[in-house]
Amino acid sequence: MTTTSIADPMSPATTTIPVGPLHVALEEPMYFRIDISGERVAHVGINAGHVHRGIEYLATKRTLIQNVVLTERICSLCSNSHPEAFAMAAEEIGGIEVPERGKYLRVIAAEVKRVASHLFNVAILAHLVGYDALFMHVMQVREIAQDLKEGVFGNRMDLGAICIGGARYDLDEETTALLRSSLDKLEPEIAEIEKTYRTNGSILRRTRDVGVLANSDAIACGVVGPVARASGVDYDVRREAPYHVYDRMPVEVKTRQDGDVWSRAMIRLHEARNAISIIRRCLDTLPTGPVNVGEKPDVPAGRAVARSEAPRGELIYFLKTGDSEQPERLKWRVPSFMNWDALTFMMRDAKVADIAIIVNSIDPCVSCTER
Amino acid sequence: MSRIPDDIETRLRAAAPSGISYEQKTDPLGVTVAWCELANKDELLAIAECLARCGARLSMITGSQPPAPPEVEAEESETDAGDGVAEAASPEPTLSFGGTPLDGTAYELDYHFDLAGDALTVVALVAQGSSIASLTPVYRTADWPEREIMELYGLRIVGHPDPRRLFLDKSIEPAVLERLIPFSTLTNATSTSDLWSKVMEAGKEASQ
Repeated sequence: MTTTSIADPMSPATTTIPVGPLHVALEEPMYFRIDISGERVAHVGINAGHVHRGIEYLATKRTLIQNVVLTERICSLCSNSHPEAFAMAAEEIGGIEVPERGKYLRVIAAEVKRVASHLFNVAILAHLVGYDALFMHVMQVREIAQDLKEGVFGNRMDLGAICIGGARYDLDEETTALLRSSLDKLEPEIAEIEKTYRTNGSILRRTRDVGVLANSDAIACGVVGPVARASGVDYDVRREAPYHVYDRMPVEVKTRQDGDVWSRAMIRLHEARNAISIIRRCLDTLPTGPVNVGEKPDVPAGRAVARSEAPRGELIYFLKTGDSEQPERLKWRVPSFMNWDALTFMMRDAKVADIAIIVNSIDPCVSCTER
Repeated sequence: MSRIPDDIETRLRAAAPSGISYEQKTDPLGVTVAWCELANKDELLAIAECLARCGARLSMITGSQPPAPPEVEAEESETDAGDGVAEAASPEPTLSFGGTPLDGTAYELDYHFDLAGDALTVVALVAQGSSIASLTPVYRTADWPEREIMELYGLRIVGHPDPRRLFLDKSIEPAVLERLIPFSTLTNATSTSDLWSKVMEAGKEASQ
């Protein structure tokens, strides 16, 4: 997107440094060309495309059923959200009504992923701050969520929980007990981590008033998810456009006004804790019955948009089907795609040392962005 | 942010005097999904300005080349065997609502807007060889999606402030989604020529 110039990049005092493409914050490639004036960022240029794989083209060569598998592999941290939104679009075209139990199971899968995803991002923040003891502690707590996923879904990242017409898994007494005991372990740990991030001097010094995104810039950039909510944009797909059974769930949409790195981390920790309440509500009110519609669902020619709240924010899918089993067009936009542009505002006059912390604070997903 | 206003259709019709085809549906949870197809793609900017005044957020832009609808003439020609004139005439391509020929080369652009949870998609069809206005003067968020569409298709988007490639390298021939690319060519595209020149040199040295 257009880059924001603060100082004259041609002035002799500016130097250009490459940041990336590897190891900016995560092990995914994104290349920043940053002009530095003294110790401050003067200009940010973003060069993308290192992991462009042409998945949208590939999707038009796969049947709808195969695309459930393909879309889950676009991203690892929000893997479940992709087939979820894709299936919702297909169900909209086909007029398929997901059974109640299937809707609850979909919410459980989505919220389990949210806990793990947010803890991962917050852990990386501690690592970038240089507080590696905290990093390892948060990753260890996240491991409870990883074990939970492995126990309930059979896999630590790709859950395979979604199919067109419902959920692809079911809970029995044993897995429900595992889920509940894992939540009981996670909840106090996350509350403790939240307290640490709220009070620890090392965290606060490196994250407060760093990478600020003003509310008006957040709206102009169209940012979504925790990045938007930390800048006072009161929007969450689960509340604004409820799907599955989110209208019956205790979804607490929290916003903050400061728009700094710390606010984004605190929003994520709050949402991880809220996700636990949502999963508990699901388990308490889980109806009996089928988990999906059973037979291979029929999806005629048509078009639909579907949205879901992935851990990083609004995920939107557009599906257009024709007479064949393959989609005529399948297009999606991940939350990170919107959030990159905001980095040019967040890095305005930032210290060089804070670049990685700021990049991590949008919880970037490059493989999602470039597809 | 506010949801789709009740008089949205009137407002959109006022912004697009050439006409629109509008439909909307509200689900049991109160979420409205609306579709607005433009008769004239040149009225897109006026529609976008109208939606911006309603507080809409541009969420995504999809570019595609819809295939030509299947011909249904085979059966008819048998029954009307005596009608030589109809048979001789070349099949006219089906026209879109706005009169764009749907011959498989026209572009369809879908602009997906969000109004506080409601979804409104504006559909514009652009004939091959024609162009469409950039939405960047109204929406900053149109920047990346339009750059991506310009590198995937041969469509020209007029008025984009920064029409560089987004994901694909500038050495790659344009309009990648409009032609068949052999898989080996596709995968070679991920390596620079530096790598291959090194491989060739190494090969020469080994053979000497």
